[in-house]
This record gives sequence, C-alpha cells and structure tokens, in this order.
Amino acid sequence: MISRVAESCFWLNRYVERVEVLSRMLGVNLAFQLDVDLEDAERWRPLVVVTGQEEEFLKGSEAALADDSERVQEYLTWSEDNPSSLYSSLRAARENARTIRETISLEMWETLNDLWVWLGQRSARKLYHGDRQAFYLRMRNQCLLFHGIAQATMLHEDPFEFMRLGTAIERAGQTARILDVKHHSIGPTASDGDEAPGEVAEWLAILRFCSGVEPFLKRNTAAPSGASVAEFLLFDRAFARSVLHNLDRTGNFLRLVRPPRPSPIGERSQHLLSELRQRMQEMTIESVLSKGLHEVLTWIVGATGELSGAIHDDFFDAPAQGPPGQSQEQSA
Amino acid sequence: MDTSSSAQPLFEGYQPLPGTWDEYFEKPGQPRGEARRVIELLDDLGAGEFRVRQRLADATFLRGGITFSVYSDRRGGERIFPFDLIPRVVAAARWQRVEAGLKQRIQALNAFLSDVYGDQRILEEDVVPRDLVLGAKGYVEAMRGVRPPGGVHVHIAGIDLIRDPEGEFLVLEDNVRTPSGVSYVLENRTVMKKVFPRVFSKSLVSSVEEYPLRLVEALASVGPAPDSEEGTVVLTPGPLNSAYFEHSFLARRMGVPLVEGRDLFVDQDRVYARTTLGPKRIDVIYRRIDDGFLDPEAFRKDSVLGVPGLVRAYAKGNVALANAIGNGVADDKGIYPFVPDMIRFYLSEEPLLGQVPTYVCAREEDRKFVVDHVDQLVIKAVDEAGGYGMLIGPQASRRERADFRARILANPRTYIAQPRIELSTCPTWASKTVSPRRVDLRPYILTGTQGSWVLPGGLTRVALVEGSYVVNSSQGGGSKDTWVLQEEEEA
Repeated sequence: MISRVAESCFWLNRYVERVEVLSRMLGVNLAFQLDVDLEDAERWRPLVVVTGQEEEFLKGSEAALADDSERVQEYLTWSEDNPSSLYSSLRAARENARTIRETISLEMWETLNDLWVWLGQRSARKLYHGDRQAFYLRMRNQCLLFHGIAQATMLHEDPFEFMRLGTAIERAGQTARILDVKHHSIGPTASDGDEAPGEVAEWLAILRFCSGVEPFLKRNTAAPSGASVAEFLLFDRAFARSVLHNLDRTGNFLRLVRPPRPSPIGERSQHLLSELRQRMQEMTIESVLSKGLHEVLTWIVGATGELSGAIHDDFFDAPAQGPPGQSQEQSA
Repeated sequence: MDTSSSAQPLFEGYQPLPGTWDEYFEKPGQPRGEARRVIELLDDLGAGEFRVRQRLADATFLRGGITFSVYSDRRGGERIFPFDLIPRVVAAARWQRVEAGLKQRIQALNAFLSDVYGDQRILEEDVVPRDLVLGAKGYVEAMRGVRPPGGVHVHIAGIDLIRDPEGEFLVLEDNVRTPSGVSYVLENRTVMKKVFPRVFSKSLVSSVEEYPLRLVEALASVGPAPDSEEGTVVLTPGPLNSAYFEHSFLARRMGVPLVEGRDLFVDQDRVYARTTLGPKRIDVIYRRIDDGFLDPEAFRKDSVLGVPGLVRAYAKGNVALANAIGNGVADDKGIYPFVPDMIRFYLSEEPLLGQVPTYVCAREEDRKFVVDHVDQLVIKAVDEAGGYGMLIGPQASRRERADFRARILANPRTYIAQPRIELSTCPTWASKTVSPRRVDLRPYILTGTQGSWVLPGGLTRVALVEGSYVVNSSQGGGSKDTWVLQEEEEA
C-alpha cells in the first residue's frame, strides 16, 4: 500500500486511542476523586502530566488558577491550543481519516465524522455541563465502536494491520505513562512495593484508567499494591493494555506488514522490537522496583518512541529508487 | 407520512418567468409531458413534508462529509454544496440528441488536439487562426510531436450546456482539462433515493451508478501495458484542495489508490509509487492537478504538488495521463467560437449541438461592436473559470462597464463576448415556496480507445439567488439531481 496512506492508518488509530484513554481517565477521575482525600492539584495535575502537556499548561495559566479542577478539565477536553486535548486528538484522528477515506470503510468514516460534528454542536456542550460522566462515556464508547466497525468492515490486510500496529504501540506507551501517574501525585513507589493505606485507592484508580480492575482481581486476591499493579500492567501477557501484551501484538502486526519473503524492509523495526521484548522478559517486578519504577517506565516510553520512529523510516519514508535491474535498455 | 388535506401542493401558484424556457411548465398550471409524473408525486407529498426531507438531505451531506473546502476559512472549513431536492427532468428523445451532439463534439476536440500537437493541418488551412492557437495560455509547445497512448487526449470531458428560450440545448463552454463535479451527481442521486424512495421508484430514471467503472475501463484502454488496471492511480493535489472530496470519492468507487505527488517518483523515466513493500510501477494516472503544477522539472519550478520527471516518462510513452497534457488549448474560450468549424473540418459533418454566438475581441470588427455594446453583452476573460473575470453587461454598473471596455482595448486577445442568453429555469425550493431559478447542465463524457460514453444526465447547477444567472458554487450556486427518463412519457 501507499506509504503515506499506511502512515495515516497508523496515526488514525493512535489518535483514536488517545481520545479513548483520555476520556476514560477524565471520567474515572471525576467518579473516584470522592474516595481519595487529595488536593485538587494532586487529583487533576497528573492527567496533564500523562498527556505530556504540563509545561504548556502552566505557561498558559495564572498560577493561582492552574489547579482549578474545572480549568484542568476544560483544558484537557476542549482546548484547541492543547494538542493532546480530546478536541485536538479527535480533530487529528478525523483529519487522518479524511485523507484516507478511499481506504477505510464508509461506516468507520461516518462514526468518526458524526462524533466530530457532534462535538462542535451545542448539544455536546450541554451534555458536558449537564452530565459529564455521560459526556466522557459517549466519547470513549464511540472510539470502541470505531474499533469494532473497523474489525467488521475492513479487509483484514495491510491498511488494517497498520491501524492495529498504531493501536498496539500507542497502548504500550500510554500504559507506561499512566502507571507513572502515581509517581507524579504521591511520590516514588517504595522498593518493596508496599503502600500506605491511602495509596490503595490511588492504585485502584490507575487500574480503572486502564479498564483493569476486574482483570486484575482475577489474578490477585490481595488488595492492590504498587508491586502487584505494576507487575500486572507491565507483564501480564493476556491483559489487553499491558505493556508486554502490546509488544507481542506489535510483533504480530509487524510480521503481517513485512514482505512474505526475507527482505530488508522493516528489518530495523523488527530488530528494535526484539531487543525491547527481550529486555522486558528478563525483568521481574523485584528488579523493576529496585531499579526504580519511574526510571523503568521512562525507559519504556523512550523505547516505544524509538520503535515508532523506526517504523516510520522503514515503511513510511523509503528512498525514491526504482527496483534494481530495471535498466534503460529493457524498456525497448 | 402526512398527506391530509392540510398539505399544500408544492407547485401551487408556480409562475414561470416570461421569455424563458421552464423545465417543468409550459405555462402556469400546464406541466410539460416529461415533468408531469414528478409534479404529481411531489404535489402529493406537500410542502410541509418536503421541508422535512430537505433537512434530512442536508444532514446526510454533512454526515457523509460530502463537502468542498473553503480556502478563506481559517480553520480549513468545509461546506456542503447546497442541494435542491426538486430534480431536473430531461425527456428520453431529447437526451438522445444531446448525447449524439456531445460525442461528435468530443471527437472533433480530440482530433483538434492531435492535429495541433502533430501536423497542424487546421492551421495550415487557416480554419482556426494560427496565432490564436499558438498564443493560447493552454498551448504547451513541449508536447508537439508527443502522441498520447491510443491517441486519446480527452479521456474525461465536462461540456457546459444551457437551454435557450426555445428549449434548445446550446454549448456554453468546454472543459477538457480537469472538469469536476461528477461526484455530486452520484451523491445527489444517492441522497434522492434515500429521501424520496417512493417518488424515485415510480419515475423510471436512467442510472448514473456505472460512471466509476466506465472510467476505469476507459483508463485501462489507454494503459501502456496490457492488464494495466493494477497500476492505475488518481493523483490529487491533496486534502486542502477544494475538490478533494471528489478525488477521494472517485478513487474509492474506482477501487484504485489515491495518491499525492509526493507518493510518486520517477526513476529511469518510469513512474513508481512509494509503498510499504517498496516501489510499485504505475502506468495510468488520472490526474487532478493542472498542467503547470504537474512536474517541476518541465513546468512551474515552484510546484510541490507535482512529480519531478513525470513529463519525461510521459513523453517516452511509459505512463498514460488522463487528461493529456496541453488540452487547455482546446477549451480556451477564445478557441470556442471555432469548434463548429472544427467539426466540419475533421468530421465533414454539421454540428448537432448549437452554441452561443461569440464575438472574438482579437478580431477588429468584433472588438468594435463589443466596445460599443458592453451594456448588452456578457464579457468573459478567455483564461478564467468559475465565474471569475466575467462581466454581465445588462446588470453591471457604469463604472464596471468602463473598466471592462478599457481592459478589452488593452488586451483584446484575452476577451470574448456573448449575448446574454435567458438560461432556462427549473422550479426550486426558495425557503417558503417553489420559485423559478436559472440552471445549466454539465454532462460528462468518457473516452477510451473504444469510443465515447456519455453519463445520462450530469450536474445541474442552479443559481439559488433570485434573478441570478451565475450558477458557480463559488458564487452562490447549488445543484440538483438530473433525471434522464428511460422512456417517452405518454403525451
């Protein structure tokens, strides 16, 4: 497939994933802030950190207003200046979709475009002010609907695999960032992984950010601790949002989009991924905690970023050169 | 559906304009044969229900993103092309004559292009003035001696027709470079079927659905390699272009990739697409980029939309371009007056379609007449389109007329003038009632090595503003579905 189109497929799903994750986080934070006795700052600021916009946010705000929870939500939901807001991510997703309408199915386009058109209408603002939970629920359900429609209506070949590749890489990085939220709100996780009682609620919220409470409870009978939650979100191979699960999936999709016969195309991506998975498999939760959770997560975020760059170079930006052996003489 | 007595018939009190052909009514209350059935069906529906369906249609266009981009809008805004639900209806026998005339005209224009970029017989015999042709903005000297695959220059044409007060179809303008609008024809039809299922199913309308497949077929017929469908692409300037929706729509319906210039490259005079599996050979390009931007090596150096080396590959015969390069010389408004002579010269036939009498300001006697009668004429710059660079004399101010008089005298080659034709009207929804609004018609003609095919109907554009003669979407125009009936209505 055309490289530029593959790139748009890849980014389309990354942006849809961002909309979904951020709406879930905002919804969860709204509902569960009541359980946790935290200052507004500690409760909302970490979401700004996860989206990577802390510096910009503080720059644009009067210091006194910076931690007003309404302002943070407004900034994360509606701001056109914040490239990570729901509004901006949805706009980017829809813009990517618009440039590849001939590739995705009509139903996929209509789902995204409907949501985009709705977000620009008064009724969306009304719902935001009237029933914010319902607003965020609608946003994330439409994203899930989009994935389901894609699965059911697209040809399961390259464009679809590049989309799923985007989702897998985005999830691996997002989960690492979310797991780091606690570092930003309460402080570093103790190297033995045991937490003060107040922190249990915080870990539950983090699981909820990843739709992970019930899956987690199927694995652990004890109350969540730093060690058990980190282990689950990093290493559980069956959990849809764990880092390792998504690296496994990245490997599957990478294999599907590479040429069937041995080829240099995609070699570097494959190599980086193999290294990353190898290192993840060699880790244990004990080694992670003794090294420092925050440090390991920072490394994972960096490594998935590098992998994404390699995919870009391998598939989206190949050199402009005809196949060898097509010499001038053969044209006669 | 509410069809109770309170529903007001849609066409009650409709008044056609005097001295103008109306597509529906011969006189007030007296429908034309071909419109009778649709009038009954819409009258049954009533004005209230009609309003509901019009809103449904608008919402459908917005939802589907069936829009054109507006350059001036800071947020890269998209607008829907206003759509009027009352269809334009053309009788079967009338359409057959139009179709034959269009095929004849395309055949002559194609012969003209082959000749101009070949032996230039028509210039030798002085049927068309040599300096007018070689001085035309769309003439590309570099294409002299280059014969496009299969000898086809005009693969896709859009010929603008109007209807005079006697109901005759006349050619107003030829478009043989990158005519747009066909996607609206297909989408308008889809929306009509959705909002008027009953009206539609009872009306025996010719289908337009096969257009994209006919296009693929015509393009494949000029591909340098046999079985060339594999390597066909649609080339777009990109998502910021106002017609991007159409480019994407056509690629989707044709089942071929949509590419931008940066997706293609030329190596050793062959064209390749950059794909995730390495370079892939391309041999047919339906390009929606103008000649000047196609290849920075050959034309505008500053073009970032094009593909460096594309013209070289084309001249070598390694890739087919649709339409061919240099077609602008054939649809130049200054060449238009000579098309009937071309038909006689190349085909030894009389033109089947009339056209609007035209004064060519490059000719001294014409120029004198035009300058003296600016207030009665429509004056057009030969190298402008979209309703720009145009003066409608009878509706212009004193100052505008004086301005155009000066422009003509300074640059006579650039202007032509025509009498203002009373464009036909079609009943159109005007917020509360149905009123006559002026329309034109752009049929689309596809040509491969096997001959031409005409899409039944085409894009009916309508001037939504009362009294306006300008139908362009950039100037307050909208569109209608065009129904070519499959059989003659009983009288």
